[in-house]
Amino acid sequence: MTTESTMTQSPARARPARSVLAGITAFAALGAYVLVSSVGLGLWTSLGPGPGLFPFAMGALLASMSVLWLLQELKKPSAAGEGADRGLVTAVVVSLLVLAAVMDLLGFQLSMFLFLMYHLKIRGKRSWLSSLLTALAGSVGAFYAFNYGLNVALPVSSINVLNLIGL
Amino acid sequence: MDTLNELLNGFAAALTWQNLIFAFLGCLLGTVIGVLPGIGPVAGVALLIPLTLNMDATGSIIMLCAIFYGTAYGGTITSVLLNTPGEAASAITTIDGHAMTKIGKAGAALTIAAIGSFVGGTIATLGLVAAAKPLGELGLLVGPPEFFALMVVGISLLVALAGKSMVKALISGALGLLISMVGIDPVAGAPRFTFGVDRLLDGVSFVAVIVGVFGLSEILSYRKGESTVVHAPGFRSLLPTGKEWRRSAPAMARGTGIGFGLGLIPGMTGSVASLLSYGAEKKFSKYRNELGSGAVEGVAGPETANNSHANAALIPLFTLGIPASPTIAVLMGAFLQQGLTPGPTLFTEHSEIAWAIIASLFIGNLLLVLLNVPLVGLWTSILRVPSSILTALILLFMVIGAYTINFSVFDVFVMIGFGLLGLALRHLQIPLAPMVLTLVLGPLMERSLRESLEISQGDFGIFLNRPISMVLILLGALIICSPLLKLRKPKALMDDDPET
Repeated sequence: MTTESTMTQSPARARPARSVLAGITAFAALGAYVLVSSVGLGLWTSLGPGPGLFPFAMGALLASMSVLWLLQELKKPSAAGEGADRGLVTAVVVSLLVLAAVMDLLGFQLSMFLFLMYHLKIRGKRSWLSSLLTALAGSVGAFYAFNYGLNVALPVSSINVLNLIGL
Repeated sequence: MDTLNELLNGFAAALTWQNLIFAFLGCLLGTVIGVLPGIGPVAGVALLIPLTLNMDATGSIIMLCAIFYGTAYGGTITSVLLNTPGEAASAITTIDGHAMTKIGKAGAALTIAAIGSFVGGTIATLGLVAAAKPLGELGLLVGPPEFFALMVVGISLLVALAGKSMVKALISGALGLLISMVGIDPVAGAPRFTFGVDRLLDGVSFVAVIVGVFGLSEILSYRKGESTVVHAPGFRSLLPTGKEWRRSAPAMARGTGIGFGLGLIPGMTGSVASLLSYGAEKKFSKYRNELGSGAVEGVAGPETANNSHANAALIPLFTLGIPASPTIAVLMGAFLQQGLTPGPTLFTEHSEIAWAIIASLFIGNLLLVLLNVPLVGLWTSILRVPSSILTALILLFMVIGAYTINFSVFDVFVMIGFGLLGLALRHLQIPLAPMVLTLVLGPLMERSLRESLEISQGDFGIFLNRPISMVLILLGALIICSPLLKLRKPKALMDDDPET
């Protein structure tokens, strides 16, 4: 937050933003979880430090810094960063999740082709020709370049019919 | 003499046609990444690590180093031509670089930047050659307590300099350390924080985390931009005049010194080097009044400092095993994936690889000039590709990058998860750099802490009983406590750096 933005905050906004409070709560909860779990892992063994010692210290650091951040926010709230374009975030994340979920089933070429077509034709509103050429280059082209050029195997379809036709 | 012989052997290895191709490809890919707005050097190097996994260790690291400094120059092209830095370290170049474009001197600005990058990079690499042996030998005397203390200092510096809030930087650092602890505990062999997921027994994939946090989150935070029209300078306009060369030389000299000095200090990013260099020009240049309106010093100084920093930052990595910046931390991750441990033992156990990589830095810096100056038009044409196509292709490479680490879609899910975490961290203005550094250093730090405590039979006093570790621990504490002591930090220098 810049000095200017602090100075220009209206009194009505002089409370921590919800997203900031949610972030602080999440970090504090994570810190507390790590603290508790670390004790279970064992802080000390007969040989010396146990597997839980280092995480315990980090959990304590995370939890205490979250509390400190909360105190700072209550004293002088900071503005959260600009919000993201929710449409873009949803489209990218959901399409990536679907891609990852079906990649082993449909194979890299088909699933990546559909993924790219979605981003180029539907979201990007590119022409059919440009979308098809780019999607083919990115799916089939990348598959062959990686498999045969770089010796990096990308997944093929686990469905027999698709596998038989080289997908 | 030994050093010279080893360097010559390094050149013999680096000049094989395979390694030359790797260096060339690295410079090429690095420049493209630098040109692309949004994908910075950290995500860029991480994204391309999977491409190098099947290569031999020398070729792989040569290529990744070339990508690393290639991105430093790629960012300059868009700064000069479009007023849009491809990466944070080139941000300051926009001021005079773009002003030079407006008065028809874009070609000269780009050539000066390329030559400055070459000069800064080459001199810093000479520094690496000179420092490698003595620092490496010194490093061999360092035991687990000193090594732990050294890492504490490195992390303290990065935390102290990252962003505007020390509290947020510490949260970021703690997060990185916690992520690095997922998997099998290295001493007791017990699973930690795996939540019963077998895939997590080997830990969270470093590359998937970095690509998610830096690359995917950058795409997720895109906003609708204005369309840009790029006019690439013609080949004939690329040559600077004699006067411009004369004016650039002192700025390059100052930039080299500043970049080299800051490259040795963990936490100082390339953007700090370029900003300080610009500040030095404002103070010392004979033409300081012209800065801001297209002065060549405003391009020569920061661009030289930027590349000098990039190469000098390899010195602590090679000699002590401490990454000085987030990009170097990613590079260190690549070393580890290839079974090489950066640090003093690199020169005793893998001497031929270490010297081949050092020799390749000279070659790569030269390739960068040869590649970039004549091909400026080609690089700028990348920016004419519509953003929807660029975004789709970047996502494609991210998926391939994450998948090929373990040939498992699980890592693609990890990348998506960490992309969302990165977006949240950006929204909360939590710096990302400390997280990357602690993610890489976490296992080494924990191991040295535990080894130290085993040596001392549990006595934490071991860190204060040994003089070197005591000094380092006190230094780390002083750095972390500096806000309480009201010591000033260069806040303004770090404010707009997305890496921090």
